[in-house]
Amino acid sequence: MNKDIKNLVADIKSRFELVGEDYPKDDQAALDFNSRDIHSVLAYVKSQGFRQLSILSCVDWIKDNQFQLVYIVFNWETGIRLQVRTRIDRSNPKFTTVTSIYPGAKYYERDVHEFFGVEFEGNPDSYKQLFLENWDDMPPLRKDFDSKAYSDRKYPVREYAADFSKAGDKK
Amino acid sequence: MDNTVEKQENIRKGWDGISRFFRANSIWMLMYCTGCCAIELPQAMTSRYDMERLGMGPMATPRQADVLLITGYLSLKTLRRIIYAYEQMSTPKYLVAFGPCTLNGGIYYDSHAVINRLDQYLPIDVYIAGCMPKPEAVMNGFNDLIGMIKRKEANGWKKYEQNKDWYRKNQIQALGELRIKDEFHE
Amino acid sequence: MITGILTGFGILLFAFVWQTSLDGINRKIVGRFQKRIGPKWYQQFRDIFKALSKTGVTHGWVFDFGVMMALGGIMATVMFLPVVGYSAFPGMDNFFIFVYLLAVGMLGMAMSSVGSGNPLAGIGVMRALTQMVGYEVPFMIVILGIIFGHNTSSLSELAAIQQASGIMTWNLVKMPIGTVVAYISLLGMLGKKPFETFIAPAEIASGPMVEYGGKQLGMLMIMHEFATFIEVTLFVTLFLGGATTLFGFIAKYFVVYILASLISNALARFKIDQVIKFYYKVPITLAIVQALMVVFLGWGV
Repeated sequence: MNKDIKNLVADIKSRFELVGEDYPKDDQAALDFNSRDIHSVLAYVKSQGFRQLSILSCVDWIKDNQFQLVYIVFNWETGIRLQVRTRIDRSNPKFTTVTSIYPGAKYYERDVHEFFGVEFEGNPDSYKQLFLENWDDMPPLRKDFDSKAYSDRKYPVREYAADFSKAGDKK
Repeated sequence: MDNTVEKQENIRKGWDGISRFFRANSIWMLMYCTGCCAIELPQAMTSRYDMERLGMGPMATPRQADVLLITGYLSLKTLRRIIYAYEQMSTPKYLVAFGPCTLNGGIYYDSHAVINRLDQYLPIDVYIAGCMPKPEAVMNGFNDLIGMIKRKEANGWKKYEQNKDWYRKNQIQALGELRIKDEFHE
Repeated sequence: MITGILTGFGILLFAFVWQTSLDGINRKIVGRFQKRIGPKWYQQFRDIFKALSKTGVTHGWVFDFGVMMALGGIMATVMFLPVVGYSAFPGMDNFFIFVYLLAVGMLGMAMSSVGSGNPLAGIGVMRALTQMVGYEVPFMIVILGIIFGHNTSSLSELAAIQQASGIMTWNLVKMPIGTVVAYISLLGMLGKKPFETFIAPAEIASGPMVEYGGKQLGMLMIMHEFATFIEVTLFVTLFLGGATTLFGFIAKYFVVYILASLISNALARFKIDQVIKFYYKVPITLAIVQALMVVFLGWGV
């Protein structure tokens, strides 16, 4: 953990309520916050030089019935990559958009809405399709989505006379 | 009356034979590089295997091309564009599919985004085996295609025109609708 | 009259067969330079006839008519060319005829490809016309110097003047700077590599040709062979003293064309603004120097 990160985390700790922290690499920090703090945290780190929102990702914690939103922001001066994370309710996934802080989040939010079904209030475009065209099922990257069943239902499978899938197991 | 019809038929057959000679020896390909098999094409094209001695060459647009190479897995989004490209090509047109992904889905057999069997959506003339096929296999596949054109066996495009309803039904079943309308497409 | 027409068709046939074979030979030579075997020497014939045997797609009557106009205009231009002393219309081989008749063919192609409605075709045509503005000016300055020096603009007379005493009266020897300028312009006319901007297959998908397939593409390929024949023949006649025998003509033509395509294979492609900047800096300066030498010093006359 280098000095810049230490100072940054100390600074953030003094201002916001930190729920958890993790340091996957020397120049990376992953900080968990309550979901109500996310906007002020992002606005603050942006003023501290984290000008780029590299990506908005999402993790499906199905056992906890929660989605985790991960905002990865990058500082071009110090080279620090900061993950700002929060957890939201899975049964009614709703969050407020961050497009007023990072305008580029517009497309990431569409992405997350498409693959996880999280709704972003305040982003009028978040309902439009981006990658999946004419998708007709539940969001495909949720853990309870059965990819094999969908594939079998929608795409015809080639029938073989012999069952080759068992052949490898016998020896 | 019958005589003239027969004569015309003979002329058409003769012309067909001549044009098949030219078509077999001058194949322009459209490389729509869908998947990883595309990495084998530069080798087959350049000095090691030299595709041009068979009269093959790359072309820039579907209109100019004779053969469409499907190099690997096809996601739904790519399948839509492949159908656009295939229908834009001028007949006679051929389709060569690389690898197991086009045959039965390959390692993407359980993916929600990747189709399993390409022959449900488009008629395929030649399959090339291998994941990925080696350049020797690619060249061998092209030789097969040339032989098939000479023997009048490469008529997938005729099959497509005759069974268009069946193909269209499958395409719509997978894609929802053929022409996509959203903010990226006018 | 009949002989004139027959000569014209003979020149057409010769132009097509020779230039198309040479294109195949050229592909073979380029293949050998890249350590490949290369195609057969008659590959270009197979390509053209294959394209003609396919079905074409039309995009409206402007699209079809433009192709015919391009091919017809270029074929008419070829018929006016004096080749090895043969000429379909003797006494009508003024240099300016070729300048204007060539434009008919090129404009036909521009009209047709814009008629297809593809934006890449529009970009390609715009680039082709921009490039034309680039290479025409230095080329014209050099040619006007030649015409001023020799007091004639007839191609066959210019050839005859250069054939007076062997190689020493060729414009290549008498006006070396002008020859270099004209050769650079020739590269631009032929669309060879540093000036290939308007074709650019990887960038704008072969530019004006983007929507052509089947028969129209075959016709355009034939048109391209004829256009190449005209341009290279003009260069051979104006700078290498024409030719009195068929063999001499073929040899000179071969050297000029193969050299152009070898240069093409060693270089990368300019952007369109670089093309214009280059033509308006180096060749135009050299062309003006050459013209001043001819007009005021009387060198090379």
